[in-house]
Amino acid sequence: MTVDTLLQLLINGILFGTMYGIAAIGLSVIFGIMHIIFLAQGTMIVLAAYCCYWLFKLYGMNPYLSAFVIVPAFLVLGQVLYHGLFRRVSVSGRFPSLLIAFGLMSLLENLMSVLWTPNPRAIDAVYSSYGITLLNLNISFTRLMAFIMAIVAAGAVTLFLKKTLLGMAVRAASENMESAMLVGITPHRVNSVAFAIGMALAGLAGIAVATVYPFDPGFGFIFSLKAMIALALGGMGSLIGALAGGILLGAIESFSSYIFSGAWADAIGYAVFLLVLMFKPEGLFVSSSNKD
Amino acid sequence: MTPGKFAGKIPLPLAIIVAFAAVGCILPRLVQDTESSYLIYVLFQIFLFITLAQGWNLVAGYTGQISLGQHAFFGSGAYVTAMFWNSGLGGYFDPFTILLSGFAATLLAILIGIPLLSRLRGDYFALGTLGLGEILRVIVIQGGAITGGSSGLILPSSAYTSITIYYYYSLALALFATLTVYLITKSRRGLALVAVRDCEIAAAASGIHILKYKVVAFAIGAFFTGLCGSLQAYYLFQVSAPNFFSLNWTLYPVIICVLGGVGTVIGPIVGAFVLTALFEVSKEWLPMIHPILSGVLVVVVIIFLPGGILRTKLQR
Repeated sequence: MTVDTLLQLLINGILFGTMYGIAAIGLSVIFGIMHIIFLAQGTMIVLAAYCCYWLFKLYGMNPYLSAFVIVPAFLVLGQVLYHGLFRRVSVSGRFPSLLIAFGLMSLLENLMSVLWTPNPRAIDAVYSSYGITLLNLNISFTRLMAFIMAIVAAGAVTLFLKKTLLGMAVRAASENMESAMLVGITPHRVNSVAFAIGMALAGLAGIAVATVYPFDPGFGFIFSLKAMIALALGGMGSLIGALAGGILLGAIESFSSYIFSGAWADAIGYAVFLLVLMFKPEGLFVSSSNKD
Repeated sequence: MTPGKFAGKIPLPLAIIVAFAAVGCILPRLVQDTESSYLIYVLFQIFLFITLAQGWNLVAGYTGQISLGQHAFFGSGAYVTAMFWNSGLGGYFDPFTILLSGFAATLLAILIGIPLLSRLRGDYFALGTLGLGEILRVIVIQGGAITGGSSGLILPSSAYTSITIYYYYSLALALFATLTVYLITKSRRGLALVAVRDCEIAAAASGIHILKYKVVAFAIGAFFTGLCGSLQAYYLFQVSAPNFFSLNWTLYPVIICVLGGVGTVIGPIVGAFVLTALFEVSKEWLPMIHPILSGVLVVVVIIFLPGGILRTKLQR
């Protein structure tokens, strides 16, 4: 393996991994506040990918521009979903919420299958095959855009959480819900905000997926799993960790599929997941300043 | 567990089980032509679901460990049956093959259960089991000639005689599973399991060996699930990864238990009947909606009927 191949694999992995990273950040936000692992995140991402695809197909809307439509739409969707589904059970512990997420995932996947057929879809735009050559390495345009979107998203969410009043309320609630209630923060309010952010991130990730990859309804579950692996790798509590976890997973997959084969790359990913869950559940990137 | 005794002496669940067994045995005699009988076929499905559900019920309802990896055991049982049969050592409804499939699933559960259950709690455990299912699916697909790769293995369908054998076998399985769960719940072991579910720390402080009980429950649940996989393999005469390692085989027991009442003995029976009824109805009139229905059901039931049908009626 030459240095060039190594670097190429690494770049591919990193760029690809940021998509897992966006998904993982969404999971992380939801997990941090509501303490549930939202299994249906990947399926929501695929839903967003379909939205992006149809906007492109039917209205010729540029996928990246459709972000301005899809992200707000998913913000609203997140609120609706929370109030409709999770609000009542958010007090009964994690078992019901987990199962609702599971049911939602199944429901959406099958719904999309029925509505839009299980055939894979892909967005074939003018720039789909553009690439940039940098230092002898091929960087695909769409993947680079996905990377940029991920960084922007991570930055935006972090800014929101750190600088806005609502964001600080969300952070307070994630640290200690009872104390937050004492200072006048409504749990349902922050929960729905967190959930909405999670969905908005899913929307963004969906655009990234739609532009880079062919996707089909079944993809959602796999993506959920990958996002969870990224989250486990990076540490459940931290946003940057989630992004880093995603990138790491992307790199692992990139190298594995080169050395072994595509399917084994998946299995290796899951194996790493199980190992990390069992032996270092707080994540690989834990730094002392992170409280969990 | 359940209140009420029938005729003053026999506990209600036991009475139901016995009645069930009696009716179940007699039914095929009453049916004109069992081969084309819809009722026999549907009941066969229901019994299979009951067994599947009781397996999950034991692990999740009574021990409190949400396993989302039942499909791993289902698929393993099916593949072991298929591989054994194809290799010539096993056979059609051969008891040895069947037991082997069950034990393979149990072994898998123990091997995976010990590391997973000792370190992972709640959601993390659910995730771990989910990952397990996926790992297994990939391994099976990559298995090449041994597992038939992604197209799976074909079994000699000429061995098919009649549907009654499936009916009786699945009836036996359902009874066996329900009886096992019932006996466990009535025993001290069952009490320990429920203690583990309700408060692990208190249970541990009372001297209960948490890991042992969790693993045993997990293993027993896997045994039933593996047997179901084996039965399905005998029914379809073909095993393939997409069918047998499909997440549906985890989803169904979950819905059934949630519908009927998690942590009850009769709940899974009720749930299986209701679910199958809903499925058959939707297959008739809304064939496209059928798979979506499962997801909707889970969501609706958890929100509005958190204890399941049984719990709501008994006002627990």
